[in-house]
Amino acid sequence: MLSTKSVIISCAGIGSRLGLSTTKALIDFNGRSLISYQLELLKDVENIRVVVGFQANDVIKEVLKYRKDAIFVFNHNYFETKTGASYYLGAKDGNEFAIEYDGDLVVHPDDMKMLLEQESEWIAYSDKTSDDGIFVKTNSIGDVLAFSTELGNYEWTGPCCIRKEKVKYSPNHVYNQLEPYLPMRGIKIRAYDIDTYDDYQRVLKLTKEW
Amino acid sequence: MTKFIFDLDGTITKQQTLPLISKHFSVQDEIDNLTNKTAMSASFPPPPFFFIESFIKYVYILKKLPVDEIAQLLAGVELHQKVVDFIKKNKENCIIATINLECWIKQLLSKVDCCFYSSDGITEDNKIVKLTRILRNEKIVERFQSEGEKVVFIGSADGDIEAMRKADVSIASNLNRKMTQGALSVADYLVFSEEALCYQLNQLL
Repeated sequence: MLSTKSVIISCAGIGSRLGLSTTKALIDFNGRSLISYQLELLKDVENIRVVVGFQANDVIKEVLKYRKDAIFVFNHNYFETKTGASYYLGAKDGNEFAIEYDGDLVVHPDDMKMLLEQESEWIAYSDKTSDDGIFVKTNSIGDVLAFSTELGNYEWTGPCCIRKEKVKYSPNHVYNQLEPYLPMRGIKIRAYDIDTYDDYQRVLKLTKEW
Repeated sequence: MTKFIFDLDGTITKQQTLPLISKHFSVQDEIDNLTNKTAMSASFPPPPFFFIESFIKYVYILKKLPVDEIAQLLAGVELHQKVVDFIKKNKENCIIATINLECWIKQLLSKVDCCFYSSDGITEDNKIVKLTRILRNEKIVERFQSEGEKVVFIGSADGDIEAMRKADVSIASNLNRKMTQGALSVADYLVFSEEALCYQLNQLL
């Protein structure tokens, strides 16, 4: 009997905005690789699916240090696509519920544990920390009503979880894939994504005490 | 319905069979000579029929060896048991496709007990005298697809590239850590353990 959940870690991108000449999964995160931090958060998840593209061999080597049972999913078209494509590729032959975890995302360990205990579908978001992110409009009970580049009460960070058959192919972003299913249950968490070098420096400081 | 087509060497067996034969019968030097030459002449991606040409050369060297001894040797090759268990449990939908000669591997494959396709030859006095069929595993993929089946191909070597490219889902099974870059360039999935492979196979059922 397989677990009902798969976690899809999207690590295919080239990390061009970060500019450290390495894919984000391999950047140093408080003395370890970012992917090793993420895998530690997900150590109790039965089915880990790591989507690889740029520097695939290096990412694979690093993941295998921690998870020999990981399933690697190739996004061969990683130069032309965004995380939406990786989410689709990772989810399509996985378990019933597909949890998307962006390779540049840092989630507080307690919050990740809580998310993994949730049943059914959800979208996670956090307090706003940037001016140029994707924002989330919520109602009074925290359900996600819309994504926006301009206005919103919170910032979209992910992860999210939907049934795998709902994950349609998209060369764009994960939030574009979620839009047809809104409103959806929302959960506020402590999380940061690392898009730019400034983000990277800031997140290293903010997460020191976690 | 989904059909699972498995390559044999390195996917079901823990060892590569042709090198094992050459070592056992001390024809390693001849084979090394051949493999070095073919490796040197191979470009990336390998040209069409490159692996078939290599196989023909292998058979040319190995044909003088006693067929029954080779079959007995290969019957003792260790298998990836979890993979074999999956095949046995789903035998109606599992197929083995290998370029290896039927007379060499029939005894070995009786342990797996599922449908298989292989190359074939005529034997006389316990030796191979003629190759009569050379299996191209991509043809087996096409055959099942033409019958309306969804095909999952599980392989590990450059000889599997065309089958992996044509399959609806391709899994590069790197259980022996000898995966070639060519196979990775077309694979949908890559696994490094029997547990991961069987997990993915069960997800695809």
